[in-house]
Amino acid sequence: MLQEYLPILIFLAIAAGIGMLLLALGFLIGRGQKDAEKLSPYECGFEAFDDSRMKFDVRYYLVAILFIIFDLEIAFLFPWAVSLDTVGKFGLISMGLFLAILVVGFIYEWKKGALEWD
Amino acid sequence: MNLMDFLAAAPEMTLLGLICVVMIADLFIEDERRVHTFWLSMISLAITAAVLQATSPDTRVVIFDGSYVSDSLSQVLKLGAVLFVALAFLYARDYLRANDLNKGEFYLLGLFGLLGMMIMMSANSLLTMYLGLETLSLSLYALVAFDRNNVTSAESAMKFFVLGAIASGALLYGISWIYGVTGSIQFHEIYAAISADPSLNNLPLWFGLAFLIVGIAFKFGGVPFHMWLPDVYQGARTPVTLYLASAPKLAALALTLRILVDGLGGLHETWGTMIMVVAVLSLLVGNLVAIAQTNIKRMLGYSTIGHVGFILLAIFCGTAEGNAAALFYTLTYVVAAAGAFGVIVLMSRSGYDVELLTDFNGLNARSPWFALMMMFLMFSMAGVPPFIGFFAKLNVISAVLAAGFPGLAVLMVLVTVIGAFYYLKVIWFMYFEEAEDKAVLQASTDTRLVLSLNSVAVLALGIVPGWLLALCIDVLS
Amino acid sequence: MLFHSILFYVFAAIMFGAALGVVFSRNPVHSVMLLVLTFFNAAVLWLMAEAEFLAIVLVLVYVGAVMVLFLFVVMMLDVNVEAAKRGLTRYAPFGIAIALLMVVELMQLIWLRSQVGDTVGGFVPNPEGYSNTKALGSVLYTEHVYAFEIAAVILLLAIIAAITLTMRKRPGLKVQNIAKQVGVRAKDRIRVVKMDAEKKS
Repeated sequence: MLQEYLPILIFLAIAAGIGMLLLALGFLIGRGQKDAEKLSPYECGFEAFDDSRMKFDVRYYLVAILFIIFDLEIAFLFPWAVSLDTVGKFGLISMGLFLAILVVGFIYEWKKGALEWD
Repeated sequence: MNLMDFLAAAPEMTLLGLICVVMIADLFIEDERRVHTFWLSMISLAITAAVLQATSPDTRVVIFDGSYVSDSLSQVLKLGAVLFVALAFLYARDYLRANDLNKGEFYLLGLFGLLGMMIMMSANSLLTMYLGLETLSLSLYALVAFDRNNVTSAESAMKFFVLGAIASGALLYGISWIYGVTGSIQFHEIYAAISADPSLNNLPLWFGLAFLIVGIAFKFGGVPFHMWLPDVYQGARTPVTLYLASAPKLAALALTLRILVDGLGGLHETWGTMIMVVAVLSLLVGNLVAIAQTNIKRMLGYSTIGHVGFILLAIFCGTAEGNAAALFYTLTYVVAAAGAFGVIVLMSRSGYDVELLTDFNGLNARSPWFALMMMFLMFSMAGVPPFIGFFAKLNVISAVLAAGFPGLAVLMVLVTVIGAFYYLKVIWFMYFEEAEDKAVLQASTDTRLVLSLNSVAVLALGIVPGWLLALCIDVLS
Repeated sequence: MLFHSILFYVFAAIMFGAALGVVFSRNPVHSVMLLVLTFFNAAVLWLMAEAEFLAIVLVLVYVGAVMVLFLFVVMMLDVNVEAAKRGLTRYAPFGIAIALLMVVELMQLIWLRSQVGDTVGGFVPNPEGYSNTKALGSVLYTEHVYAFEIAAVILLLAIIAAITLTMRKRPGLKVQNIAKQVGVRAKDRIRVVKMDAEKKS
């Protein structure tokens, strides 16, 4: 079973190799003259005004959770697509109902204005 | 796997369709006409009840490859749930309008909760039960946090959510053990597997069972898994507490009966002891701690824990008589709880929530009729004859006696006497204390009428309890 | 099979270590990152049990979406790290006691299982060409269709609950209406007034 993953392993090895190679090249060839001032955070030439860990707006949360819900919906579509020949018309109807329920949710959030940032 | 199955599950399908209609309609209703959402929800409940009646099964029907069962138990519980959700909506309507909480989502979440309860009541497999429970819990979490600018609501919702998630995890873990041992998630197959192979009745199964009991005790609010209950009752806005205290108890009963009796009936000796410990602790903690409360919602929360003790003891008997007593007790308790919270909702006005016991001071002088109604409800909860609560307690005690546990019966009588103290305290405040605020209670005619019917019902049912008891016995035989 | 076992233990050990790191890390962002590592290793373990679909979904949904949400939440909270840790040391003995109890119980169970004998049978690799995704799909949309539809209902409910609890309308917010801006015509903005040229006085 694991042999089937050999191409993926090779792919990963090449990807990691290229990534490390580029980093190493930059590190070796680059003429970095680092000092404390250069490495310190700044904002357009000024000292940083604030900590970078500022509070996020709760609106990001809403966007993320709506994304997850539709991400999950898509996760249900994969096995359906693969097994469509075995589940037949019944499977088609059950997926239709599933999607219809979520479309109602989509209409709701759209009309409610949850997809608008402002 | 049959398209006709969708028709057989008509009540759930109808409710789902109607929820979608209410949801879309609510988007097009302006804030000042929000009462339309209320009426749409009520119409949806009426249609659901009608469909339930029309599809009432003559025999036990199992569909969706054993996921869904429709029998007389599910029928009675579902009708009850629809009724109590309708009561909660009606009592909540004017409160929400007066307190600037008038959003359609209250009714939507309430309807979704009802759908979850109906799924639980008709569950024939552990998976369906779990999904129904999650549907219910998710709407309850959102309802508790409904007033999101209120710090206490948010805090109690947080507690409820975190503890509820842990309990769901425990339940799911127990479910996987049961599935691992018996090889099925359907209740009748689990039952058959255990009776076919007695060697299954061993440590791995008990391990899973213990986790199931934790989940059940949490959802019911049994000690020592009751911590969330008083906080949530107090923290949630009163109409939400009313919703929480009424119909979901029926769903919790369905959860217990389906899993422990339908599925694991063969393990009665094992789960009986665990349930008994939870029940006895609930009786003691609920009734003793309730005495010390000054907040009426918190007090009714602890009193709920005490009542849960009775219900669990009835189930502990493991006899048909005990199960019927549990159903009878739950139904009648929920009638009284809906009424009591209904009175509290009614007493709360714009910007001021009735929270303290002393808010009941001199209610008799202000509105003698509602004071009388509240007295009926308190008497019923305390178990004073001839109110229905008395017969409910009597049934449980006689079932426990018949099962051969006189000690437990004595304990129940004792805690009933202790419990009477704090219910009578409310009545004392209403009749023998002076009111600071002399204003007469205001209510719309329909709320007034239904609340009166609700309260008189505990007396009327108490005078003729026979038919309801016969129904409960019939349903569970 | 030995190679398989070694792989299993290696990944399980990394997962266990990462899970401990989630709990004990002082920085909540590090906790989230370690949780990603935990999920990733769990996905690998599922892959080894030939549950490919679940492994992919774990990476796709949990690592891809849920962890993003966690990061947002962590960033939203502005948690006081030191204060949270004080509670940890206070409750740690109790937590460890409970964990030990559960470990002992599990050990007992495993021991009991070994006494009873292997009734379930070991792990049998699936035949060539077996697709876990297809097997899952063939029952999910037919036998478990009811549960599947309830899943849709729960997702719908989650949409409503999330919107109810977090969406705020800000009154008086000045925003651009791009459609209106694009749709504007010259005659809405300027009025060309015809008038006679004035005579020089």
